[in-house]
Amino acid sequence: MSETAHRGRSARNPTISDIWSRVRRALRPPRRLRLLRPGIWVIVGTLALGFATLNTGNNLLYLLTGALLGTIALSGWLSESMLREVSVRRTIPLAVTAGEPVRIEYRITTGSARPSVHALEIREIIGSSHALSASPEVVSAYLHQLEPGSTGVARAQFCARRRGVYRLDGLTLATSFPFGLFSKERDLECRDSLTVWPRTDRVVRAPAPAGRQARRARIAERAGAGTGRGDYRGLREYRPGDDPRDIHWRSTARRGELITREYEQDAADEYWIVLDHGAPDETSGEAAVETAAALIVGAARRGDRCGLAAAGVRIPPGAAAGTAEAFLDVLSSVELSVDAPRPAPPARPAMCLLVTARGPDSQAWGDVYLVARDP
Amino acid sequence: MTPTPHRRLAALLALTALLAFVSGAGLDAPAALPAGAVLLIAVFAQPGEAMSRALEPVWRVLALLLALRAGFIVLVGGGDAVLPMVDLLLLLLCAESLRPRDRAGDARHFALTFALLIASAAYRPGPAFALLFILYVACATVLLVVGHLRRQSELRRLHAPQPTPRFMLRIALSSTIVLAVSALVFLFFPRVSRGWAARGAPTVARSIVGFSDRVSLGDHGARIESNPEVVLRIEFPEGPPADPAGLYWRGRSYNRFDGVAWSRVEHAPTPPFELRWTGGSIEQVIYGRRLVDVSVLFGLHPVADITPLSRIRPLRLPSGDFAYAGTAEPVYRVTSRAQLPDPAALRGSLIGNTPDVVAHLQLPPLTPRMLALADSFRAASSSAYDQALAIERWLSTRFDYTLDLPRTAREATLDYFLFERRAGHCEYFSTALAVLLRAGGVPARNVNGFLGGEWNGFGRFLTVTQNQAHSWVEVYFPGHGWVPFDPTPAGGAATAASARVRSFAGLRRLADGLSHRWGKWVLDYDIGTQSGLLERLAEPFSTTDAGGGTDRAIARRWYVLGMAVILVVVAVSLRRVRRRPQRTAAPTRAYIALRRAYARAGYDISAATPPLALADLVRDAPGAQSARAAIELYVSSRFGGRTLDEAEQGRLEQLVRAARQRLREHRGRGSVGERIRR
Repeated sequence: MSETAHRGRSARNPTISDIWSRVRRALRPPRRLRLLRPGIWVIVGTLALGFATLNTGNNLLYLLTGALLGTIALSGWLSESMLREVSVRRTIPLAVTAGEPVRIEYRITTGSARPSVHALEIREIIGSSHALSASPEVVSAYLHQLEPGSTGVARAQFCARRRGVYRLDGLTLATSFPFGLFSKERDLECRDSLTVWPRTDRVVRAPAPAGRQARRARIAERAGAGTGRGDYRGLREYRPGDDPRDIHWRSTARRGELITREYEQDAADEYWIVLDHGAPDETSGEAAVETAAALIVGAARRGDRCGLAAAGVRIPPGAAAGTAEAFLDVLSSVELSVDAPRPAPPARPAMCLLVTARGPDSQAWGDVYLVARDP
Repeated sequence: MTPTPHRRLAALLALTALLAFVSGAGLDAPAALPAGAVLLIAVFAQPGEAMSRALEPVWRVLALLLALRAGFIVLVGGGDAVLPMVDLLLLLLCAESLRPRDRAGDARHFALTFALLIASAAYRPGPAFALLFILYVACATVLLVVGHLRRQSELRRLHAPQPTPRFMLRIALSSTIVLAVSALVFLFFPRVSRGWAARGAPTVARSIVGFSDRVSLGDHGARIESNPEVVLRIEFPEGPPADPAGLYWRGRSYNRFDGVAWSRVEHAPTPPFELRWTGGSIEQVIYGRRLVDVSVLFGLHPVADITPLSRIRPLRLPSGDFAYAGTAEPVYRVTSRAQLPDPAALRGSLIGNTPDVVAHLQLPPLTPRMLALADSFRAASSSAYDQALAIERWLSTRFDYTLDLPRTAREATLDYFLFERRAGHCEYFSTALAVLLRAGGVPARNVNGFLGGEWNGFGRFLTVTQNQAHSWVEVYFPGHGWVPFDPTPAGGAATAASARVRSFAGLRRLADGLSHRWGKWVLDYDIGTQSGLLERLAEPFSTTDAGGGTDRAIARRWYVLGMAVILVVVAVSLRRVRRRPQRTAAPTRAYIALRRAYARAGYDISAATPPLALADLVRDAPGAQSARAAIELYVSSRFGGRTLDEAEQGRLEQLVRAARQRLREHRGRGSVGERIRR
């Protein structure tokens, strides 16, 4: 989960467009006011009554016109006190799978010197920086009441239909309290991003790279009735999922971090998943990405050691960052195109699985997943 | 079904609006009473779903009928549209109060009740309107807020908790803003017209003495009813009078008596000798009411001048009386001569037989004993003045005052009063004096008006009620004018007020003071009052007026003091409002500045980054050493329970400055300046 307070800044070097948007933000009035339907009626009523008052000179009508104006003034004052000195902290998951609803949590804190807050709506526009993602979506959360000096939680639900990196630039606090005449809005800068992974629930067969089967047979033959895991290869740092019985305690004590033994067959299980960025159309391209994602999840489940080559990134098997999450992060930002160059195998082609939507090339890939367009 | 607090509030709001309307129009609208009953029921009980559905067609039919009635009255009958519209409005309000609530319910309810308030503004509601208006504003504010919150929750399919009484009270208190804006608009919005002729302004019932063209003495029956209705409210701009009970508010004079009734005949007018009286003048501002009889203006005798303050046009009649044209409530400023002429001068006045004197010697046929009585007074007196004094004294000491009317027409005659009954009310006394003087050759006339009044210390004005109606005599002295004589026994007029009325005198005075102020400052607040108010507000700062320098200086000092107090209160409350919940400690502020500096420089730091993690993150950044040292100092203070002394705090700030300086140097020309957003 990532948390962002509204005063937080993104960890990017500012570009000219950033500076320009910052200037525009600085020049923007601090509040926006939207007239709602009852507000229109009250204003029209006030003008009409004011006209009647001037025309007749009836003193009690002056009092009543003043009461309508006072209602508008009270509305402005109370709505302002709902928005002022309210800080919001947003909590979102670091990543989420496309099509899966995600709850965005807003922790709202008020100053203790404020009156209690009522009918506060938090809206934000979630837009994707990714070319393939859908148009920006507005999510909103509502807080009925919050006592002064306390923190309340409001939740919004968001369901990203497509993978990608979604930008959360800032949120808008809005309230139509107290009478629903106007909606007053205040923008809070609160940048964050949400990585939406491709769907991983595609049904795929277990990979069987030709190279791996040959090697595995060789190792099995050599090992005989031993451990069945081949020769001892060396030590490496412990990764989640490793068998705890393989931990080499002496080295662990010496180095101050968990060290585990590695056997030959572990290395033999290694393979690469290579994603072809070329796709005749968007649907089949996305299907290829989802297939790659399903392969990654399957590998993680089986404990396979696999690497990924996609989006210009190569994460070798067994690398420190080689977790399924990191792979999915890469896949979420893959840009597909019709005429993308054919991918080059990062290792011996026999040890690589190609996931493609446009058919295999002349390389002798260990396994090929040809994704057809969904019917 | 017991209504929810929300529904109950809605019914209360409608009741308040209805009462506000009734406070002005009374029960003129036929629907007022039944609507009041229905709304009162709605406060305590609500019909169930089935019942509401059954009532729905009833409301529709009734609304249609009332709309047709209103249309008929306006289009065909050419009548006043307000009351039929109010009937329709009340019906809709009742329907709304008994209808199951839907989303637009509150808005409709508010619109209907507000329309009722607007309708009540067409009348002249009493000061109770102010109280009801305040109650209405508070109720409406709470109702609208509670309704809005409920709708917001319903829209999101949330369960909205019932508002707590404390919350409702707070919202009700916040409605003082509405009232304040309302008062400011009322006071300072420029008035372009002068006053407003309200409908249904009540006229005063017939008084003990009349003011019409013919005032009859021959009324007989049971007893004159006590009537505490206020007819005049009089302010004295130059300060309260020494003896308000002895002031004669002269209204109308009558010069012809036919034995039964007094009437007015216009003939040779007497020259206005009164205006030559010396001895200063007395100013009165009189808030009168329209009388049934006639449009007459009152004032202390002799009236030198009358200036209208409302939309009336005063007319000076040949008799010296003042009448007016116009339909507004008369408000006017009267200047009167303060002192009667010297008795010695009056004793020396020769009556003569000029036409103006002869015109005031007219008599009906008198009985021989009446003529003999008049002659006896004439023979005993050396001058007309002494003659008048003697009859006045005789009547006021030998006769009794009574409000009991003569029982028969025979008993109603002047002769019966003088020789048999020897008791009566003021008109008998004044008529007797006038007739005896005329019979003795002294020109006299009967005058009707009011005597005395009740000083209202709360409102600093004199209240004159119907009970103070009085009748007296004016005697004409050529060269001096008309001089008043009052033969009614002392205390006669006062006994008119019943004991019941007197027992609540204090309360009544308060109510009357309120009513007067309400009328003066609210209902009849006009461009004149407004400019007067503005002038008074600006007075301490004006430089044109040479006089009253010390007063102005004192007033100015009060002003400055008042403004200073207001400024302090505003500043303190703003500070309270703006104050942050807890003032951030100095080391924390320094640390936040440091964190922001690095965050702005592009490091992945947020408010959630712990201090030591921050130190780790920026270990290779420019100014890392200073930052590290600063963070260690901050951590020791924030989490180590150590208070930094001044030197340490200074060092911390210096370290932060140094780190930021290094960052800036590193980023060079493209750096974005430090801007700490609050």
